[in-house]
Amino acid sequence: MKIPGAKDSIDEATFEQILEMDDDEDEREFSKSIVYDFFTQAESTFEKMDSNLEKKDLKTLSELGHFLKGSSATLGLSKVKDSCEKIQNYGQKKDEKGEKDITEDEGLKKLETTIKQAKQEFHDVEKVLRKFYNDEQ
Amino acid sequence: MESQSQGSSSSDFVRKLYKMLENPTDENVVRWGNDGDSFVVLENEKFTKHILPKHFKHSNFASFVRQLNKYDFHKVRHNNEENGQSPYGPGAWEFKHPDFKMNNKDALDNIRRKAPAPRKTNQPSEEMIIPAQQMDMMSNQLVATQAQLHALESRYNELSIHHSMLLQEVIGLQKTVVNHEHVMQNVMTFLHNVDAQRRRDSRVANPFPSNGNQTQNGNVDGAQNQSAEDDIPASPLQHASKLLSETNADVMLNPRNLEHMNEITMRMNGTLTTPPPDLIRSVRPASRGPPSAGSSTNSMRLGDIDNLVYPVGQTNGIDPMYSEHINNIPYSMPPKAADPSNPQFQETRKKSAQVDPGWVRQPQILLVEDDPTCRRIGSKFLYAFHCSIDSALDGLEAVNKMNAGSKYDLVLMDIIMPNLDGVSACHLIRQFDNTPIIAMTSNIRSDDISMYFQHGMNDVLPKPFTKEGLLHMLEKHLAHLKKPLSHMDGGMVAPQPLASTRQVLKEEESPAKSPATATWNSPAPVPGVSPVAATGMSEEYLNAVHANPAAYAVQGVPGMPHGNPYNTSPQMPMPGHPQQQAGHRRQISDISGGENMNNPAKRQQMYANAPLQPQPMNPMQRPR
Repeated sequence: MKIPGAKDSIDEATFEQILEMDDDEDEREFSKSIVYDFFTQAESTFEKMDSNLEKKDLKTLSELGHFLKGSSATLGLSKVKDSCEKIQNYGQKKDEKGEKDITEDEGLKKLETTIKQAKQEFHDVEKVLRKFYNDEQ
Repeated sequence: MESQSQGSSSSDFVRKLYKMLENPTDENVVRWGNDGDSFVVLENEKFTKHILPKHFKHSNFASFVRQLNKYDFHKVRHNNEENGQSPYGPGAWEFKHPDFKMNNKDALDNIRRKAPAPRKTNQPSEEMIIPAQQMDMMSNQLVATQAQLHALESRYNELSIHHSMLLQEVIGLQKTVVNHEHVMQNVMTFLHNVDAQRRRDSRVANPFPSNGNQTQNGNVDGAQNQSAEDDIPASPLQHASKLLSETNADVMLNPRNLEHMNEITMRMNGTLTTPPPDLIRSVRPASRGPPSAGSSTNSMRLGDIDNLVYPVGQTNGIDPMYSEHINNIPYSMPPKAADPSNPQFQETRKKSAQVDPGWVRQPQILLVEDDPTCRRIGSKFLYAFHCSIDSALDGLEAVNKMNAGSKYDLVLMDIIMPNLDGVSACHLIRQFDNTPIIAMTSNIRSDDISMYFQHGMNDVLPKPFTKEGLLHMLEKHLAHLKKPLSHMDGGMVAPQPLASTRQVLKEEESPAKSPATATWNSPAPVPGVSPVAATGMSEEYLNAVHANPAAYAVQGVPGMPHGNPYNTSPQMPMPGHPQQQAGHRRQISDISGGENMNNPAKRQQMYANAPLQPQPMNPMQRPR
């Protein structure tokens, strides 16, 4: 099952195993509801990220990053997942790999760009997935 | 040509040869020898160019000679003669065969292809035979080696169990001795007091005993002497004190060594359990928790001991522990081939979402996960694996559920969750329950993982988990719920005390995926089915362990093999925290030490909620 336009934004194998759980390959009820719920979840998480970025609450940002990382990873949305991991690390005042310490200012700066990037990546993959599910219908 | 038998090509050549010599027109090139018992090629070049093509359809003298040799013709050499030259000229080739004679056509039948022909067919077959024999030998050797291994391994098992038993015993004994020592010292102190009291009393009754000095020295001296005398106890007491101080168990016995040994054993067992494919340590504790904990521990521990059995890596379809595997050797099995004794695994992965691992009954799984996406997908997978799923949204709910008496066969626990994180939840659950808990997390750095184990997790399922990874976890930790395979005997199928009556599953219907594809890469396709399952030995050991709570009480560690090994890890995320003391994990009051990961906020909530207390009014509790 190729997802048109997915390229490297979706990990095929991971997403595939969710598609496999669909009882009906035409309806795709299960995977579709999961994916669409994820859209909602991601949107609200990004909103929270924005407000916490204003508040400069790095710790919460890190937690939000982790949260979104988990679900995006489970769906195989690799790009979003990678960015979320970075958000998680920056929020802990670490570099993107979570190895070296960075200052709070650096963290905030990086968080700002990374969150922007994550949003972009999310919207890209969202488009792809929406198209995929619309096509299926 | 009627003389030829069976028209075999062998005599064909000879006949052609004979026919060639019958033709007198080529006499100056090739002809019978002077005695008629040989033939001579006089002019090599002409023979090759003109005669050979005419009779043998080729023009290769060398091959003609080879052919002759095959029929046992021999070149006649003339070395004996004076000049070493052939009578037919220097370039002549004379060939001879005892049955190749002029005017004796019948004898031609006797000329056969000699050994080369049979040898040629023989050689390869010999080559074939030798390897086959070698294969047999190898197989036999393998079987023998395997048997040896088996014996060694069960011996080792037995010994290591003995060893741990002894260690436990000795440690217990040491503690007892030390306790006795302290009791003795208390008794001594008491006796000293009684003794002093007695002497004081006797002095009070008779303040100036018949001692000249004292009478003379008067009251002051008398008082001094009296106090001095108080310090001098009766001689049997003195003697006893001396003995006690000489054999002071506190000094003489050093429990450290043994405890250290014990740790090492535990650690060994732990790491033997499953060789980690990468940094992920899938160790499982050999036993855990207070001996009074849960009846379900028994089966679990049995499994643990089984698992400690066979350490090595990839089996490539040939596990020396399984004699059936011997058949696999000559064939080039696909790497990580499935266990052939389990027909389920041989079926290739179907696209079918339904995978029935063949449970004896439906396993009850608690899925603790705050992320709805993960939770739904996890549930879906578990459902596909014919599990019954209960879910909790965070650690707190999980603890409450379990504390309220819900029984599960396995808990899948996210780590980072609101209200109460997975590690804390696991820690709390371990105070009263031994259900296997598997950490589901993307934080799988080695220090994270050691922490999970330290708090009582049994395994780690890295996120994002795959279906195969999940299935593998189930099969690994719920081996006792699997339908017994042919080579598993009763010992493996430990009856679960909480067995539900639900009997599930038509095993044939849905093939299990080959565990070979599991991302977790287990070395053993079927976990926990080691033939050394549940020996009487382990039973004994368990009984001994259970029957000896005292040893536990004093020692404090035996339930926690994984705590101590990591104590020294400098990378512990909670450096210097007292909770690293293994013994602490048993005291609920000590939890405060254990939960300081990196999220104090969550921790506080945990305390506020006092999750340990059964709270019947708690809406989240849904006891079954």
